[in-house]
Amino acid sequence: MKDFLLNIDRRIIFVFVALGVIIPSLTEFPLPIKPTSTVQSIYDTIEEIAAKNGTVLISFDYGPGSMPEVQPMALSVLRHCFNKKVKVVGMCLWPTGVGLAQLAFDTVSKEFGAQYGTDYVFLGFKPGYTTLILNMGRNFHDAFAQDLQGNRTTELAVTRNIKGLKDFDYVLCLAAGNTPDGAWIPFGQERYKFKFGLGCTAVMAPDQFPYLQSGQMNGLMGGLAGAAEYEVLIKTPGTATEGMRPQSIVHLIIILFIILGNVMYFLHGRQKGGA
Amino acid sequence: MLFLRRTLPLILAFVLGIIGIAIYYIPHNAAQDLENELAKWDRIVAAFAMLLGLYSLMRLHWSRVRRQQAGWGYSSLVFLGFAIMFFLSLFNNGLGPFVAKSSADTDPFVWMYNNVQVPADGTMFSILAFFIASAAYRTFRARTPEAAILLVSAMIVMIGRVPIGALISDWIPWAAQWLMAVPNLAAKRGILLGVSLGAVATSLRIIFGIERAYLGGGES
Repeated sequence: MKDFLLNIDRRIIFVFVALGVIIPSLTEFPLPIKPTSTVQSIYDTIEEIAAKNGTVLISFDYGPGSMPEVQPMALSVLRHCFNKKVKVVGMCLWPTGVGLAQLAFDTVSKEFGAQYGTDYVFLGFKPGYTTLILNMGRNFHDAFAQDLQGNRTTELAVTRNIKGLKDFDYVLCLAAGNTPDGAWIPFGQERYKFKFGLGCTAVMAPDQFPYLQSGQMNGLMGGLAGAAEYEVLIKTPGTATEGMRPQSIVHLIIILFIILGNVMYFLHGRQKGGA
Repeated sequence: MLFLRRTLPLILAFVLGIIGIAIYYIPHNAAQDLENELAKWDRIVAAFAMLLGLYSLMRLHWSRVRRQQAGWGYSSLVFLGFAIMFFLSLFNNGLGPFVAKSSADTDPFVWMYNNVQVPADGTMFSILAFFIASAAYRTFRARTPEAAILLVSAMIVMIGRVPIGALISDWIPWAAQWLMAVPNLAAKRGILLGVSLGAVATSLRIIFGIERAYLGGGES
C-alpha cells in the first residue's frame, strides 16, 4: 500500500483528471466568480470609450491551441463593444488567429446586427510583428492599405479617420505568445502612448504584472478565469463560466495529489532516499 | 567571396544597426520616414522568411520520408496536409487566387480550418492537463525549505485563481493576488531587467562585429 501511494500509476491520475473534467461539465453547481480589478479595468475602459463613441483595436494573436482560453475573451469583449456601439478594428500578428477572429466577428455581429465597415472592420494578418506595429503607429493606412476583403481602409467608415495607432481609444491584445511584451508594449504603447490592455493565457499572466504596475498596461484578463470574470461583467455567461466548474475541480484534484505525494514522501519516501 | 560572405554582412549589420538605434530616438520627420521605410523592408524580409521556414520544414520531413526513419508516416502527412490546404487556399471557394480571401462558411479552406485544425490543435493542448497533473504529483516535493515555499505558493495561486478558492475562504483569492502582484512581480522584473540588458549587450556585440555566429560556419 505504501509503495502504491508513493508511486501511483499515472493512468490512475489521468482517470481522476478525466472524471474531474467530465462530471462537473455535466452537472451544474454555482460558483462565485468575482471580477478582479485588472479585468474590471478593461471593462471600465470600454464603457468610457462607449460614452465618446470611440474605436477599439483588437489584435487576435493566438491560435487554435489556445482557443478554449482566449476565444471566450474575444467573444465577450466583442459582445460588450457591439452592445455599446463601440467601433472595432480587428487584426492578427499570428496567421493562425485569422480564422478564429473571423469566427468571433461572424458570431457576435449576427447577435447584435453589427454592420461590416460601419461597426467593425477586420484587417487580417500581415507579417513583420514589431515593424508592422511601427508602421501602423506612423501611418495606419500605409501599413494596412486594404482590409481582408480587399476594401480600401481609407474608404471604410470605421478606419477612415484613423491616421496612426494614437487614434485608437484602446488597443486590446488577445495573446498566446510574446506579442504583448515583445511587440505591442516596446514598439507600440511605449512609442505612441495609447491605452493598452491584454487578455492572455493563464501561463502568460504572471509575466505581465511588471507592465501592469508600470502603467504600460491598464488591464489584464488571465486565462479562462479572466474570461469568466469578463462574462460576469457583461452578464452573458459562456464557455468560460461553464469551464470554471471543471477547472476548479481539476485544480483541487491536482492539489490533493500533491499533498498526498508529499505526505507519503515525508512518511516513507525520505527514509528510502526519496521517491 | 570572403567579402560577400563576411565583410559585407558585417558592414550591413553595423550601418543598419547604428541607423536603427539612432532613428528610434530622433523625432525629426526625415528620421521617422526612414524608420518607416526600413520597417517596410523588414516586413518584406519577414514574409520571405516565412517561405524559408516552409522550405526548411518540407526539407526536414522529406529527408525523414526518404530515409524511412521511425515515424516517417507522420512526416508524409505533413505533405498531404500542406498539399490539401495549399490547393484549397488557391481554390478560394471557387474565386481563384487573385481576389481577396473568401471567409464564407462554405469555403472548404475555412471548413478544414474549423473542423480539422481547431479541434486537433485544441486536443493536443488539452492533453497537457493530464501530464501536468501526473508531473505535479511526482516532482512537486518539499525537499528543501525553498521548495516548500514554492509548493505552498503554487497551491495558493492554483486554488485562488479559480472560484472554488473564494468559496473556501475569502483570503485565498486575496493571497493569490498578493503573491502575483508582489513577490512574482519583483522576481519577474528582476529577470526582465537581466534579460533586457543581455539583449542590449548581444545586440551591441553583433553591431560591432564581435559576435559573428549569425554568419554561419561555427565561428564566433
